Amino acid sequence: MEINKLERYWLIAVGITLGAFVAATIVAVTVFGIRLPAPVERIDPQRLDQTIFAKPGVRKIADNRYEAVIVAKSWAFDAGPEAGNPAVLRFPRGSQVTFYVTSKDVMHGFQIEKHTLNLELVPGQVARASATFNRPGTYHIICNHYCGAGHQVMYGVIIVE
Amino acid sequence: MASVTLPQTFEAPATPTTLKLAKREQMMIGAHIIAALIALMFGIFMGPFQTFHRSPTFVQYFPTIPIFTFYYQAVTAHGVMNALFFTTFFIIGFSYFVTERTLQRPIKSTAMGWAAFVAMAVGLGMMLFVLLTMPQQSAVLYTFYPPMIAPALFYIGLVLLALGSWLASANIFLTYRDWKREHPNERVPLAVFALIVNFIVWCVATIGVAIEIVFMLLPASLGILKVTDPQLARTLFWFFGHPLVYFWLLPAYVSWYTMLPRQAGGKLFSEPLARVAFILFVVFSVPVGVHHQFSDPGISASSKGVQTLLTLIVSIPSFMTAFNVGAALENAARNRGAKTLFDWPFKQKWNDPVVAAQLSGMLLFIAGGFSGLINASAQLNATIHNTSWVPAHFHQTLGGAVMLTYIGILYWLLPAIRGRALFSKNMALAQVFTWLIGMTLFGLAMGEAGLQGVPRRALTSQSPYLSPAGAFWLDVTAVSGVILLISSILLYANIIGTLFFSRRPMPEGEVPIETVSGDRTSPLWFERWGIWLGLLGILLLIAYGPVIAEVLDFQLGWNILRYMPTSNAPMP
Repeated sequence: MEINKLERYWLIAVGITLGAFVAATIVAVTVFGIRLPAPVERIDPQRLDQTIFAKPGVRKIADNRYEAVIVAKSWAFDAGPEAGNPAVLRFPRGSQVTFYVTSKDVMHGFQIEKHTLNLELVPGQVARASATFNRPGTYHIICNHYCGAGHQVMYGVIIVE
Repeated sequence: MASVTLPQTFEAPATPTTLKLAKREQMMIGAHIIAALIALMFGIFMGPFQTFHRSPTFVQYFPTIPIFTFYYQAVTAHGVMNALFFTTFFIIGFSYFVTERTLQRPIKSTAMGWAAFVAMAVGLGMMLFVLLTMPQQSAVLYTFYPPMIAPALFYIGLVLLALGSWLASANIFLTYRDWKREHPNERVPLAVFALIVNFIVWCVATIGVAIEIVFMLLPASLGILKVTDPQLARTLFWFFGHPLVYFWLLPAYVSWYTMLPRQAGGKLFSEPLARVAFILFVVFSVPVGVHHQFSDPGISASSKGVQTLLTLIVSIPSFMTAFNVGAALENAARNRGAKTLFDWPFKQKWNDPVVAAQLSGMLLFIAGGFSGLINASAQLNATIHNTSWVPAHFHQTLGGAVMLTYIGILYWLLPAIRGRALFSKNMALAQVFTWLIGMTLFGLAMGEAGLQGVPRRALTSQSPYLSPAGAFWLDVTAVSGVILLISSILLYANIIGTLFFSRRPMPEGEVPIETVSGDRTSPLWFERWGIWLGLLGILLLIAYGPVIAEVLDFQLGWNILRYMPTSNAPMP
């Protein structure tokens, strides 16, 4: 079985293209620090009151560093009574925020507009991800995973001041 | 400009088939195609109406949109009917036809064929019943992730579909085995080689979803099981969910490799390399499902990295196909008088709906392939995951390449089954080009909307968070919906016309099946399927072993059945 010369060139070009994609993936992790969600902790979604999710909310942990603990449920993001419904979170410019999010009932999604933060919220799993907010503005938190009849109105707001 | 020289080893057989099928075989293939078209009818028309429902401007001017009132019912019906039932019926009917005509023998067992058909048809009936009568409870979409649980009939319908498809796969495997016993030193013609690959992929992939449904979802729906693990269920679903798209795609490749060259007036460039491409699909199309779960919290980054790499590798056979089929099309155009470097795409039979549909599908597949490579790149995925970019991608691939190729096949297969000519060639051409235009616009607008953060599968016309740019692109999708609605009506008008109103006989020589392989050089061990299954098994261990272990229990505690489903279908 022989491979035609032109086809061999084509396969080399394909190899280079795919190699570039692999390289870009590696650069994204090492240089830009874009990390994928990875296992944090398993919890019982019916006993969230025994976990950090008992009191959702935003905590300042250092200068310009915050932790946001959020519970997703049909059909709202609960970030504590201060944040209200729909939840409004305010951060100063330049804040680095680590989000801990889980779902209390069905699958939900957690996407912040104009950021690379995009999480699946699987009941029983804690999702963790960080985002840095350098540009002032209003960014929506969007539930992007179908969660029932009210899915389209499930959202929150982040205001960077 | 010199044309590409065909390898000397290639001998074009081009022997139109003469096998007259027994009436009962013709009936069975016809039954599958008709069932497929019934399923498609309930799915295809839901599509345009979803774009209307999602568009803020459209909803403002037409507050009541007909056909359905519950948006998520339409999303579920569109996915389940188009992606699961239409495809499976169509692929099995088409595969019987190709196998029988290519190998010049009937399928192994007609009785088993009917048993498979009845199982799938009962499944279709159950699914339609549950979707139409219980719109709220059954709106779990075609991915049916727990802890949302649908009525039991939903899952029983799917189980019957899978059981029937396994029987059909066995029938085709046995037919091939009989042929192989009579022709031990021959290469099976490429079309059947590819179909064997396709049903191997299908049988391996469906193991995942069968475990999910039989051991998790169905018992949960019946109330036997009070607990389920959504992360494990998702993982089992995507073990099935990605190879599923190759199950749809490979029959289209069968048409591109083994039928289109003759339909277009050319020769396939290299049949041995086509076989290599199909073998790569056996080995690589299953261990890639985690690329749908890059944003899942329960799977480690290293497992995601491994499957990113494997996903990029599984694009290689499609790149090989682009070259091989592209060269065949160039050859066809040279035969038709194309002279320059770039005129060959234009010198095709664009006035033949069978060819035009497949070429249009390929055009959409170029966009779909590259949007797919973006999805496969783990970090880029974070910007578009679960946004409307994703349906944009799979409407370019499934709704574009696969659907248009199936339509191209339908335009000769339906007349062949009915024994009458296609009702209207011009209507078919209008259908193909409106589909191409509509789907191109849909892909562009949904992709742009996704980049603006518009989520997929949401009734966005009601969303408070919708940005002006997102709203604009959603309005554009409604325009594409109008075009695709016209195209769908043209398709069904032609189908009904061909079945009931066509009076002219089917033209001679229209069935593009080749019964002898033109391949004289590929090694005979290409058909030792155990080798490829063994390699697949090793890759599955590497790619899925850790994932399943992680998902079964994060701390290796093996307490799988830990979590209560906290909500049955959570409708108000």
